Amino acid sequence: MRKKWIIRSVIPVVLLFIAVGAFVVFEPIQVLPRIRISPGYLLVNQDAETVTSEDVRGDIVLYSFTYSGCGEECIDIHNTMMEVQSRLGEVDTGDVDVRFMTISFDAETDTPEVLGEYAARLGADPDVWQFATGDAVHLENVVKAGFEVYYQEHADGDFSFAPVFILVDGWGVIRGEYRYQTNASDADKIVRHLDVLGEEVRNSHGAASLAYEAAHFFLCYP
Amino acid sequence: MNRMWKRIALVLGIILVGVVVARFFILPRLQPHIFGGAVIQSNQQAPRTEMISADGPVSVRDFQGEVVVVYFGYTFCPDVCPATLSKLADSMAILGDRADEVQIIMVSVDPARDTPEMLKEYVTHFHPDFIGVTGDEATVNRVATLFGVVYEVAEGTEATGYTIDHTSTVILVDREGYLKLVLPFEGSAEQIAGDIEYFLG
Repeated sequence: MRKKWIIRSVIPVVLLFIAVGAFVVFEPIQVLPRIRISPGYLLVNQDAETVTSEDVRGDIVLYSFTYSGCGEECIDIHNTMMEVQSRLGEVDTGDVDVRFMTISFDAETDTPEVLGEYAARLGADPDVWQFATGDAVHLENVVKAGFEVYYQEHADGDFSFAPVFILVDGWGVIRGEYRYQTNASDADKIVRHLDVLGEEVRNSHGAASLAYEAAHFFLCYP
Repeated sequence: MNRMWKRIALVLGIILVGVVVARFFILPRLQPHIFGGAVIQSNQQAPRTEMISADGPVSVRDFQGEVVVVYFGYTFCPDVCPATLSKLADSMAILGDRADEVQIIMVSVDPARDTPEMLKEYVTHFHPDFIGVTGDEATVNRVATLFGVVYEVAEGTEATGYTIDHTSTVILVDREGYLKLVLPFEGSAEQIAGDIEYFLG
């Protein structure tokens, strides 16, 4: 009689452990962590139009940071962006648009005309990819303090900076940061993450959104 | 006979107590809280930047140990700000005594027109404990940027003067000073109160 009671009370606990274990091992739902708030910004794009963080609210945005005078050291950044642009067909984000935003920290040189020529030279699709810059002090707040991307201007007008890509969701929350260049291509990782984000956007409605919140809770908040 | 009735009453009593315990003490703990906003994992602490209120300098980080709810608006704001502030006031009412552990701050995105005194009069109209702060343009711009907020002067009528387009989200800072939650403008007072209560613990 007593044995039965013990077995009966142990079974649910074991089942719960198996369920949590399976969730962690098989990851039936993958989520990207909600890392931190993406900064608010007001910049001017290659068409001399104002572009703000509110304009892209609701869209998934991939940010990169550079300046038009950047030579060889920026080839990797552009190649990565171009590769992701060409592979956008692989990801399904439902009715949410994916946009690219390249922010230049050289406000003085990078007038809208210069940015426009630069975009054309790189082969950026104007429907997807914008180039923007703005007031120097605001840029410091947005890029350095907000996106945590550090850059420094030198006397000859060149900038030194670390290449970074940042992925932001429709809530204006940073979901991916790609800071360390490794042998693995950042483009592969970014495309994979766009896919994960797309799946969350497409599926997390109603009851399924609870499962997504649970995934956030279990996998991202240890 | 009498004994049987006693037994039935006892069993019913136990069932009743069981249901009450399950409903109010066990179920709420098993049910995950459903957030109205997006919770952020966040290693990002709110800036310590000092701003000015009618009662002296204030930073968002002055209230550590309390949950701080930050909203960006301005006193000439025609619709969005009053709606949000009254919603926040309603959520404080829902929280009851626990509202003492919550500080609501409105940061002015119109530092040119909003004086600390005007802000105080404006926000306390909604709730006596609300604080309104402002600062010079550079300070406000920096704080807004870090809270994911952007604002821009828009055209107005001659009667109202210019209006300001601004991000309408409400941001929650937890007891340790971390930016933890982005609440959409559409959220209800009940949802906001629920989310605040979650972070009160």
